[in-house]
Amino acid sequence: MIEARIELPLARFPLHVDLKLGRGVTALMGPSGSGKTSLLESIAGLRRAARGRIALEGERWLDTDAGVRLAPNQRRVGYVPQDAGLFPHLSVRGNVRFGLRDEAAAESAIDTLEIRDLLDRYPLSLSGGERQRVSLARALATRPRLLLLDEPLASLDLALRQRVLPYLVRIRDRWQVPCLYVTHNVGEALAVAERLVLLQDGAVQADGRPKELLAVPAVTREAEAGLENLLAGTIAGHDADGGVTRIDLDGGPPMSVPYSPDRKVGEGVTLSVRAEDVLVAIEPPTGLSARNVVAARITAVERTGADVTLHCALEDWDRGPAWFARVTPAATAVLGLAAGTRVWLAVKSHSVRMV
Amino acid sequence: MAALSTLLLLPLGIAAALALARFRGPGKGALETLLSLPLVLPPTAVGLLLLELLARRGPLGGWLHARGIEVVFTWKAVVVATAVMSFPLLVRSARTAFEEVDPRLVGIARTLGCGAWAAFFRVTLPLAWRGVLAGTILAFSRALGEFGATVIIAGNIPGRTRTLALAIFHDNQIGRDDRAMVLAGVTIVLAFTALWLTEWITRRRARTVEP
Repeated sequence: MIEARIELPLARFPLHVDLKLGRGVTALMGPSGSGKTSLLESIAGLRRAARGRIALEGERWLDTDAGVRLAPNQRRVGYVPQDAGLFPHLSVRGNVRFGLRDEAAAESAIDTLEIRDLLDRYPLSLSGGERQRVSLARALATRPRLLLLDEPLASLDLALRQRVLPYLVRIRDRWQVPCLYVTHNVGEALAVAERLVLLQDGAVQADGRPKELLAVPAVTREAEAGLENLLAGTIAGHDADGGVTRIDLDGGPPMSVPYSPDRKVGEGVTLSVRAEDVLVAIEPPTGLSARNVVAARITAVERTGADVTLHCALEDWDRGPAWFARVTPAATAVLGLAAGTRVWLAVKSHSVRMV
Repeated sequence: MAALSTLLLLPLGIAAALALARFRGPGKGALETLLSLPLVLPPTAVGLLLLELLARRGPLGGWLHARGIEVVFTWKAVVVATAVMSFPLLVRSARTAFEEVDPRLVGIARTLGCGAWAAFFRVTLPLAWRGVLAGTILAFSRALGEFGATVIIAGNIPGRTRTLALAIFHDNQIGRDDRAMVLAGVTIVLAFTALWLTEWITRRRARTVEP
């Protein structure tokens, strides 16, 4: 278990957190500039101005009152920064073995992350996803006692993200080290984390289980991830000619997503639809290319920043989750959207992501 | 002499360059200017200041004299003069190279188990070595050609403090232009080699940074 009580003056506000983390992955979310990276760097020992107390399994890394401050190289953290931070003058092998503490751990990391074929290449010739994997392997080869991952997938495009994400899940399951995982992405947090901490202006705003926290629009808004509809379901079938995979939602209509033959029929999945990607119509839409259309009733209209967020209850699935749609105030006025209005929600297949 | 002064200079210059590259705070500008001063001052003025400092009655010279070390008008004076004059060239070049090294990479090296020294030798220096080497070569050439400061503090004593540059001046003064021309030829070869090496190294650096 790691305890971290940290105070650190930042440009706009002080970072002030008090956290206890157990095994498993804790997602750290929050708007840009809320102090997430500073928190990781303080724990790693890279911020000399950090004050307070940090202890791992009772071993003190920092205790300002007692004058204890372990150097970063004495803390054994695996730190993976946002841009991978590979050493450009070393080959992949040189990078992975840079902090080598355990031959077996390095070999295992190379296999887990599938980078054996890259060992003789140099970082400049690697793709973004490859760099992130090498950086993860480099951290794991030191047999870290704590993993600090700073948006390990942020610099990757969507397709790459979905290729690297399984590696993170694999690391979580195989290495069993406590891990603090910074992300802006709700889907990632759901996929890898057992716990979620929301940081804002240097302070902890919320702390709990990801599924529960992320169902609260205010939290996802603070997380600046964009509000997402998270829908659980199972794969119902594949239609190669139509280019779609059909999914039965728990408490919702059948949905079509882009053809994904790698998912087995009957497999449980979570779908994510950004609230901005939900179209709202006040009449049943016809001649529309969107594959997923469902009738609903607005239960609440909430002004959220420059936009309006509509809370909608599906008509035929009154036990299903609420859907969120984000529209402009102008659209709200023109369509006369208010609580109680009957609407049709439409979502393009390509706006639905499996997480 | 030039080689010796360059060798002595290297650790000092690297330390100064590193400090300038990393240090942020008041006085940085002033320190930078002070270190670059020998570049723009007349070399004879620098020589005069050094002479005052190192002469037997000077503040530092007196202290050294009490310990049996004489600097002025010996080969040591040549080393000091050339070192002071070429120092800024090394520092400027090395500093630029160090500034290009992302400090976060050094932090990552620390988290991977490196102490401060190990991180410097395994990350900072390997990433900056071309700039440091280029600066060293420049400093060496400068040391080779140093005249003004050397002649004031070390004199022009045949076989002891007569450098290439001083010898050329001397030969020309006594009418042996033929000998001076030969020496000038030697300096041309040395200077050309040094500059060409620098050029080659920096070009290669540019290529590896942007593939």
